[in-house]
Amino acid sequence: MFVVLIDQFWSLTIAGLALGFIYVLISLGYTMVYGVLRMINFANSEIFMWGTFGTVITNRDLYNYTQTSEPATGWKLALVLITALLMSMFIAGLTAVFVEFVAYRRLRMKGTNRLATLISAIGISIVLQEVMRLLTDSRPVGSPRVLEKIILAEVWGANLRLDTIITIIAAAVIFFILERFIKLSRMGKAIRAVSQNEDAAKLMGVNLNRVITTTFLVGGLATGAAAFFYTTVFEYTKFNIGFTMGLAAFTAAVLGGIGNIRGAFYGGISLGLLEVYASAVLGTQWKAVTVFVVLVLVLLFKPNGLFGEAVQQTRA
Amino acid sequence: MNRKIQRSLAVVSAAALVFGVASASTAQAAAKVLYIAYQGPLSGGEASTGIDEQNAVKYAVKLFNAKNKGKFNVKVVSVDDQGDPAVASTVAPGIGSNKNVLGVVGPAYSGATIASLPYYKAGGLVLISPSATRVSLTDPTSPDFGGPVFHRVVGKDDLQGPALAKYATKGVSNAKVFVFDDQSAYAVPLRGYVEAGLTKVAGASLVGGDSVPNTATDYSPTIAKIATSGATVVIYTGYYSAAAIFIKQLRDSGSKAIFAGGDGVFNQEFPKLAGTAAEGSRITGVGGLAGISPKLEADFKKQMGVSSGVYSVESYDAANILLEGIKKGNTTRAKMLKWVKAYKGKSVSGNTIKFDANGDISYGLFAGFTSKGGVLVNTGIVK
Repeated sequence: MFVVLIDQFWSLTIAGLALGFIYVLISLGYTMVYGVLRMINFANSEIFMWGTFGTVITNRDLYNYTQTSEPATGWKLALVLITALLMSMFIAGLTAVFVEFVAYRRLRMKGTNRLATLISAIGISIVLQEVMRLLTDSRPVGSPRVLEKIILAEVWGANLRLDTIITIIAAAVIFFILERFIKLSRMGKAIRAVSQNEDAAKLMGVNLNRVITTTFLVGGLATGAAAFFYTTVFEYTKFNIGFTMGLAAFTAAVLGGIGNIRGAFYGGISLGLLEVYASAVLGTQWKAVTVFVVLVLVLLFKPNGLFGEAVQQTRA
Repeated sequence: MNRKIQRSLAVVSAAALVFGVASASTAQAAAKVLYIAYQGPLSGGEASTGIDEQNAVKYAVKLFNAKNKGKFNVKVVSVDDQGDPAVASTVAPGIGSNKNVLGVVGPAYSGATIASLPYYKAGGLVLISPSATRVSLTDPTSPDFGGPVFHRVVGKDDLQGPALAKYATKGVSNAKVFVFDDQSAYAVPLRGYVEAGLTKVAGASLVGGDSVPNTATDYSPTIAKIATSGATVVIYTGYYSAAAIFIKQLRDSGSKAIFAGGDGVFNQEFPKLAGTAAEGSRITGVGGLAGISPKLEADFKKQMGVSSGVYSVESYDAANILLEGIKKGNTTRAKMLKWVKAYKGKSVSGNTIKFDANGDISYGLFAGFTSKGGVLVNTGIVK
């Protein structure tokens, strides 16, 4: 049972970390919106899915890579990767702002109850998914290989592959930048103020609409970065991939304590590792069961997630 | 949510179909217009399979109509079930109760077949599927049993499993085989038949397995297991899109094990999606017209404007059984069902088609394909 885990421990750990960091960035999209609006952004999974196409378009259409072309090297590689990252972030960020504008803003201004917004968010996510389904003819879309998956080194029997290493490091950097933005910038402070007390923040002169749009934007940018890493590692996307990844990231957000950015970080990483370890030990068919059993257990003892207490003090 | 929308759309299109058929038949009552149906995925993610099959049916009908000009004018009613049981159960009632439809080529997929069966049994409508391979459909002890209306001109999965096991391990001495499925109703039983087939391959041994949902994109745990097991052959019994993601990751991990898959992976999109990682993959599938008669294939392309695709032989055979029945004057459902049950004739592949009491044919044609230069190349029938 544990043979595979022992034999392949470091390979699994690296894979789990890469997956975990992708979850961390997507769960930011959930957790930030929740922190400010106290609502789940159900469309975040589709924002992610749209983001993956940013990378595909960059690689395939902008730089004309094909499934059989040689991967890029040197400066060209850096250029393509950075363009793809920015493109994914741009598309996802734009989609997120669009979602806020269409599904949230007007309803919020009219003071409707939360259920209405919930439905409109689900509605917009179906629209986003169906539009992409029609655009891609329901077919899976492969992303051409730009980054050659060179094995950099072998550490304790595990291959350190370029794409996973880039994912882990770059995702950590992006997370750190966003976290600092929310901690230190004026806008970040405004976001935290609104999440702590909306009315008080308004009285202090915080522009609520701008704060909310920015929150969606930042969440969308993080989700878009995740979409870039996902497409670079897996070189694949489809109109319906958002659901699985979105659900996992949402689980990660809840596991860590939704509304809490540090929670999203630890939740994402733990989930990524938990998934690969559980799959290796019990068989992949037990992955989902294990994940949700652990989630329920955590919530039983810490109803607000792993970082539940921290939510009260340093929200968002 | 999404499913529901699809379902209601399907209902609307099915209704349109039925009314379309009815109005067409009254308008041309003077000419002898007869209807057969094709059922399979014509939209959605599996659409390419259904469109290929329907083209072969339309081709057979075109030849038939040209040959019998003035006597018969057969039309094909398209029934789009998206390969999805939920959609099938909404489109089947309309066809089941539309007495103008004499027989159905299809349904294409096993799950959709099971969902459609009650309506076709009630309507006494004969079915000849070109591609529904699930064993239980012709097993009289199973609740999925399709008798008396269900027939198929394709080999069952219990024939495919051993063929796949044989083809995957061909030329590999002391093959160590790892088999995994995608948890679908198609893949799990097929994995069982592959594993059973392996016991009959000399020197081959089963060293491990896994079961990964088809929504997964990260296969690192499975690849870790493959590495630990020391497998030299990896067989996947799921579908092509997941296979493409998996094979890339397997090759990126440095593994050189042979990759093999069943007819779920048998799709030209597989090497396109997987790129160079797919090279050398071994896939069992159906031969296609091109593999059997290049002359027929050339004519197909001329008449239809496209090349024939997956299950074209089977779809063409199935349509021809119904068309021959029409020619012999079996123009009611009851007569058509009796005709098919008693049918004995030649497949375009040269085999004899004769259905047993449960609706199966006696042979299974599984060709071996190898991915070469981005396309799947036929290497002949697996023997």
